[in-house]
Amino acid sequence: MIRFLIPFVAVVLFLLEPEFALFSPISWGEQTLVLVPRFVILYLIFISIYYSRKRACLYGLIFGLLYDVFYIDIIGLYSFLYPLLCFVAGSTVKFIHQHLSVTTILSVVLVAIMEVFLYYFFHFIQFTTIPVSDFLSNRLLPTIIANLLFLIMLGWAFKYLINARLLQRARDNS
Amino acid sequence: MPHFTNKKLILLLVGTIFLVALISFSLRDRQNASVPEQFIKDTVGFAQSIVAKPANYITGIFNDINSLLNTYEENKRLKMRLEDFAVLQAEVNTLQSENKSLKELVEKEDSLKDFDPLKATVIARNPDQWEEKIILNKGSSHGVQLNMAVMTANGLIGKISLVTPFTSEVELLYSNNPNYRVSAIVQGEKSDVFGLIEGYDTERNELILKRIDSSFKVNKGEQVVTSGLGGIYPKGILIGEVTEVTTDDYGLTKMAYVKPAASFSMLEDVIIALRTSISVDGSDGSGTNADLTNGTENETTDTNEGEE
Repeated sequence: MIRFLIPFVAVVLFLLEPEFALFSPISWGEQTLVLVPRFVILYLIFISIYYSRKRACLYGLIFGLLYDVFYIDIIGLYSFLYPLLCFVAGSTVKFIHQHLSVTTILSVVLVAIMEVFLYYFFHFIQFTTIPVSDFLSNRLLPTIIANLLFLIMLGWAFKYLINARLLQRARDNS
Repeated sequence: MPHFTNKKLILLLVGTIFLVALISFSLRDRQNASVPEQFIKDTVGFAQSIVAKPANYITGIFNDINSLLNTYEENKRLKMRLEDFAVLQAEVNTLQSENKSLKELVEKEDSLKDFDPLKATVIARNPDQWEEKIILNKGSSHGVQLNMAVMTANGLIGKISLVTPFTSEVELLYSNNPNYRVSAIVQGEKSDVFGLIEGYDTERNELILKRIDSSFKVNKGEQVVTSGLGGIYPKGILIGEVTEVTTDDYGLTKMAYVKPAASFSMLEDVIIALRTSISVDGSDGSGTNADLTNGTENETTDTNEGEE
């Protein structure tokens, strides 16, 4: 059962992302804050760190491709970024202690880097004209806070699920 | 070892070239989806619409609670307007019947105003909100076509930018696409004034109405509706209200800021307007951000190509 639970959770998170996006943009006084839900990639980074880098990259490719085709209509953007982020996250395992709080911060930092990259990409192809300062205050910061909250609430559950799967695999092998 | 890294380097290079080619290829034609793309879109759309139902239900509850809290004030305000409403209703009825009889008299059958409403549910919003896009659960099998107007009960919100058999994508009015234009009328006191909704001011969160003839007077608070002259939208859909009038960058024409009537967050149910009178196929730069104006941004002569 747990074997299928890991991809199933990824699918559910993928489908929940646009529903949470419906709440955005939020008006905060004079400002309009944009929150971008990045549940799938956060979950995949967790898989990459605690479970298997290869598996995470594969999921990243599949979900990135779905994301590209369904929402963005630019094929190759997320299907490149998602596996790359999973790869980087998986590679840090050797150097960084795998405590939950460290992983949480690392995931959010990686997502922030991805947001910055996406900003420059969309700026380059002229889909957006907002200046860098607006991007940092109205988009990046709210996005980081929202995703951090999400991980604080559910990060332990991801880790619990992945650990259960690892235990099961160990039992099957023995 | 050096041989091995060389191999990796070549692989990386080829991968990068492939990626750039793929991205630029898919950027070129974004208004038509190929068959595998359509298949993926419909499949994901189906799963998405299943998830959207409980999600919409929950947001509905939140909205209900919110409106319950405002009931008292709203009721007071509505009661005040109710008296005017009865008078207005009577007036509308007489005007309608008069209009009908006059139309019969001149044998004018179709009007730019007529459209068949098609109800659709929003199943997703583009989660990375770089492009303002929503996805609906109605597609070409329900009669939806490219460039149709999409609105809520409050006013115009956008137009269809991509259709698959069972889903469709809406590009919202909040768009940076320079080819996104809506032919509009400001309903002035004496006469109507024509203009084009072109672009969106991110700082003010308002739409920009450009190319208003400077000899006409536009006042703050006047209503802006679609004109129906762009070829695709029906006439008379409310867009918003004028908040400020200035002259444009070159001082030749006036421009106005328009506060949209429809709210763009928490969209749930929308209406797609299928225009009944003959629609003209307005080209729109094939949905790309390519500059169709050829640097003639403020000459009104040869820009008809990209209207709506």
